[in-house]
Formats: sequence, C-alpha cells, structure tokens
Amino acid sequence: MDIQLKRGLLDVCVLAAIKDGESYGYKIIKDMKPYIELSESTLYTILKRLESASMLTVRTAEHDGRLRKYYRITDRGQKRINDFKQEWQEIVSIYKFVTKEGDGND
Amino acid sequence: MTKQEFLSELREGLSGLPREDIEERVNFYSEMIDDRIEEGLSETDAVLEIGTVESVVSHIIEDISLSKLVKEKIKPNRRLNAWEIVLLALGSPIWLSLGIAAIAVVISIYLSVWAVVISLWSVFASLVGSAIGCVFGGVLVMFGGAYLTGVALIGVGLFCAGLAVFAFFGCKAVTKGILKLTKKMIIGIKNYFVKKEDV
Repeated sequence: MDIQLKRGLLDVCVLAAIKDGESYGYKIIKDMKPYIELSESTLYTILKRLESASMLTVRTAEHDGRLRKYYRITDRGQKRINDFKQEWQEIVSIYKFVTKEGDGND
Repeated sequence: MTKQEFLSELREGLSGLPREDIEERVNFYSEMIDDRIEEGLSETDAVLEIGTVESVVSHIIEDISLSKLVKEKIKPNRRLNAWEIVLLALGSPIWLSLGIAAIAVVISIYLSVWAVVISLWSVFASLVGSAIGCVFGGVLVMFGGAYLTGVALIGVGLFCAGLAVFAFFGCKAVTKGILKLTKKMIIGIKNYFVKKEDV
C-alpha cells in the first residue's frame, strides 16, 4: 500500500483505539489486533507523531509498582477521526469510479 | 531471553541515537513486556512476542529520520570536558571572528546584489526626472524666446522618456530575476540545514 496512505490510516486507527477513553501501549495493540497487526516500533512512531500533532496527550502513572504511559485523545484528535470519516466518503466514490465496468458506449 | 537481557541489548543496538530517545524507547519496550507478563505470559514468551532485538533495532532505525541520525553523529555524545570548554573560550577570538566574518560575507553579497537593483532603479528615476525636467524646461525656455534651445531641450526630454521606458522593463526583469535567485538561495540554505524528514 502507498506508504503515505497507510501512515494516515494507521494514525486514525490508533486515535480510534483511544477515542472511548484513555489507553496504554499494549492495550492499543491488543484492541487493534483483530483488525490490523501493529508492531511495537510502529506504534511508538505513531504515538510520537500524534503527540507532536497535539492529537493526543500522554501521562505517566504508576501501575502495579511500575510506570505506564497512558494516552488520551484531544479534541484535535477527535476532529481527525471525524475528518477521516468525511474523507472516506470521497475515497469510496473514487473507488467506485476506478472499478466502474465499461458500459459499452464510448 | 530475559527482559533485562533484551532491554540491555536493545540499548546497545540503539547507541547511535540521542540518549533521551534510547531511554524512552527502552522504557516503552519494558512496559510492553511487563504488560504481557501481567497478562499471564512467561517472561521468555513475553520477550519472544516482541521479536528479536535485531529486528526491533532495524525497524527503529528505519523509522528515524536521517537528519536526526546525522545530528547525533556530529554532536559529541558526552559532555564537554572542562579543558574543552576552556579551549573553546580561549579560541573564541578565532572561531567567533571567523564566524562573524562568514556571516558578514553572506550579508554583504546579499546587500551588493540589492545595491545593483537599487542603482538600476535610480537610473530609471533619474531618466524620468530629467525627461520631465527637460520637457518643462524646454517649454519655459521657448516662452522666453529661445526657440532653438527650447526645441532641443524638449527633444532631449523625449529622448530621456524613451530611455526610461526601456529602462523600466530592464529594471523590472532584473529585479524579478534577483528575487527568484534569492528565493532559490534561501531554499538551498534551508535544505542544507533541515534535511527532509524521511519519516
């Protein structure tokens, strides 16, 4: 898949994984697993990118005597998801055009 | 492989990265392993699921922008020693003045390029000025009775006006060209410092 497209899609996937509440790295990977396999290093890069784009915030909290990072979606991240839904409509109609069967009268 | 072994090998594999980056990534993987153990996996299995250190390292390096790696290469990865700081301070009359000279050269090139533009436009302005002056002067002189001089002055004025029209197009073209050139130069300098991110 086109790398730019894939990157954009994965960003939205990770945002979707935290849209219903704070989550942490391993849980994000687990939640996404039925839909898409994500490696730890890819997730790390995406989380960093989303954080610097202010689409999510990070906090470190103690869990079971160790530290864990929790990621929370921001309004901007929520907006990205909504934008994606809009964009997707366009992509679907482009897809329909691309895969359209010739109707014989050219 | 135990978690500790994995993490220390990872730290070693990432040694070309900035120190904070290494720590952050190692912590990230440590958390990932701990979360798997909490889920019920044995330590060995948890590490196994993450993958081999080599694959993780190569993945990370792939993801990191080239510029960051280069910067890390250039930057001394330890604090400067006291004597190095002293040397830097003592050497400052040399490197500082060289640096200032370099900046001055760049600025002076820039200024002299624009000086050319300004002087061209002032030629244009003086042509316009003399055109107007000569025509008006000629008319006045003619009213004063010196017809021949008046006609000559008006002729010179018209000639200047004609030259001014030519000069205007020339100046415009030169200014445009120089604007383009400086834009290109600035982009070139920027690219030199900020390499395109490859992530």
